[in-house]
Amino acid sequence: MSPRALAGPEIQRILALVPWVVAHPGSSKSEIALRFGITVEQLEEDLALVLMIGVPPYSPGDYLDVEEDEAGHVSIRLAEYFQRPLRLTPAEGLALLAAGRALLAVPGSDPGGPLATALTKLEEALELPGLVVDVGEPDRLAPIRAAVAARERVEIDYWSAGRDELTTRRIDPEVVFFATGEWYVGAYCHRARDERMFRVDRIRSVTPTGETFEPGATGFETGDVYTPRADDTRVILELAPAAAWVTEAYPTEAVTERGDGSLEIVLAVSEQAWLERLLLRLGPDARAVAPSSVERLAPDAARRILGRYRDTGAGGSSADGGTARGSSTEPGSGGPEPRRPDTRARGRA
Amino acid sequence: MPDAPSRVERVLNLLALLLDTRRALTREEIVHDVAGYPPQITAYRRAFERDKETLRGMGVPLTTETIGDGSELGYRVRPEDYYLPDLGLDAEESAALRVAVSAVSLGSHAGEGALLKLGGLADEAVAPIASLPIAPALATLFEAFRARAVVRFTHRDRVRTVEPWGLSSKRGHWYVVGFDRDRDAVRAFRADRIDGDVELGPADAFETPPGFRPDDHVESRAWLLGDDAPVTVRLRIDANHLDTMLAEVGADAIVDEDAPDAVGTTGPGAIVEMAVTNRAAFRSFVLGFLDHAEVLEPPDIRADVVAWLERVAAGVGTADS
Repeated sequence: MSPRALAGPEIQRILALVPWVVAHPGSSKSEIALRFGITVEQLEEDLALVLMIGVPPYSPGDYLDVEEDEAGHVSIRLAEYFQRPLRLTPAEGLALLAAGRALLAVPGSDPGGPLATALTKLEEALELPGLVVDVGEPDRLAPIRAAVAARERVEIDYWSAGRDELTTRRIDPEVVFFATGEWYVGAYCHRARDERMFRVDRIRSVTPTGETFEPGATGFETGDVYTPRADDTRVILELAPAAAWVTEAYPTEAVTERGDGSLEIVLAVSEQAWLERLLLRLGPDARAVAPSSVERLAPDAARRILGRYRDTGAGGSSADGGTARGSSTEPGSGGPEPRRPDTRARGRA
Repeated sequence: MPDAPSRVERVLNLLALLLDTRRALTREEIVHDVAGYPPQITAYRRAFERDKETLRGMGVPLTTETIGDGSELGYRVRPEDYYLPDLGLDAEESAALRVAVSAVSLGSHAGEGALLKLGGLADEAVAPIASLPIAPALATLFEAFRARAVVRFTHRDRVRTVEPWGLSSKRGHWYVVGFDRDRDAVRAFRADRIDGDVELGPADAFETPPGFRPDDHVESRAWLLGDDAPVTVRLRIDANHLDTMLAEVGADAIVDEDAPDAVGTTGPGAIVEMAVTNRAAFRSFVLGFLDHAEVLEPPDIRADVVAWLERVAAGVGTADS
């Protein structure tokens, strides 16, 4: 690593730390270290460096002065030019506002509480423009969050898009979070006898059981919506160039580009209906080539759906097999995306 | 003899000098005063360049002006541009900001950097509740939005010239919303679909209409993101999938829950009417419901879906056919 790469964070920390100590004389070294995310030893090195900062003519009174009493309380004097921190960068201002507005958008946040007033002060003092964040509120979010807070076991009716089935299960909901544009609940599922992730908008009902549970040692993390498991089926797909977005939208394990611009990719798939949806929307731009169990998946699903159209008279079905127009679209952010399976095991039972 | 000053020490002394000075200083004055610059001219010039780059990279407003008879460059940092104004936050408000930075994951450390300047990090980690990754282009767009500067960027292979009127996040995606000067209309662009750098024009180049709400212009429903002739589609959905469909279609769907059972369905159903301006995206949407949904009208959209399914059923679809 170059010295340049190392210098930045250290300089930034010292420029933030000095004004704070100037404004809070007599603070303990342990408190300062905690606030600035460093050890007391690192703080002592920083303070030794602070003593070396001065301005011309560099006589003794032109250097910053650090005083420390026997109990480890520190004060900094003679730091007029560092008495205020450096203004926020655009990325820092954005990060504060984005995090604040996102948390305020979470249903149940106090729209007039300290976070709201802090953001207003920030926007006004720094002349920052407002941001609008919408994280949505599926119908069952409130009862699920209440159950998480009360450690209450609940019974849910859940539509699993990955299996296309409606099931009733008892779950111990441990954590709720918003990721990839949806609300999820991570829970121990008594039906699967394992940890599972559920999309809150696919929970059809929540019924209390009157039982509570002890939270287990879960590894649920925000954004950790799907990680392929070793025993998920590996499927080989051929993709036309128009379907290349698939490799960016889903964790693809291998991509081979062929001379004509088409791709051969390996995807980890744990739920069959998920793959059906992906292949149906890709249509002529994709073909499942292996394993043999998936070769007929999309044609069979298409025939099943066509059954609905042939049995009804509405609109008149075009049994003459006209040519489909257009090609498969890139996934929009709306619609029931063929997201990665919405239930999955977290580790083996 | 004492150790040579470290680079960190040199940069801090450089900044102290530039903030403290009443007039712009030449490079030679600076390297003469600040300890730690090498004596050789090429070496100290290179070192000074590097230090300037470090300061600017941190956001220090280092200004350059001509001095004397105009033949020399001078450097300084104006304190009024450097200092963070006092935000007047009370203890509860500071704590609330710390919680927000810990609870919302944006995929960068910029929030922690801001907290350091505001007086420190959270005492303890808070369980994350939301993840809203910020695309690299977004900080530049935010600055342009603040400065009212016109931006140029490449979005899905097309160069756009946009007055950024607002930033908005919906369904996990960040959008810049503004006036597209080429199309002469308000448009929303997903920030993560911007390729490469965002170019900024001069500041104060436009006025945002008062009361403008960026979220009113963000359409996350793919079937409404297109230039196909608007059409109202009627479809039948199995009763136990109606909630899922309505959550996607939104409040403007028209629903008849008492639709008579159709032949070939597994149970009761409902009729939903929805507007569509992107037929390909609509087809993807409706196929997501597998055999739980059926397009009824208009006939050409129904025929499109049937024809598409027939191609898939025949196994026509291959990348190399």
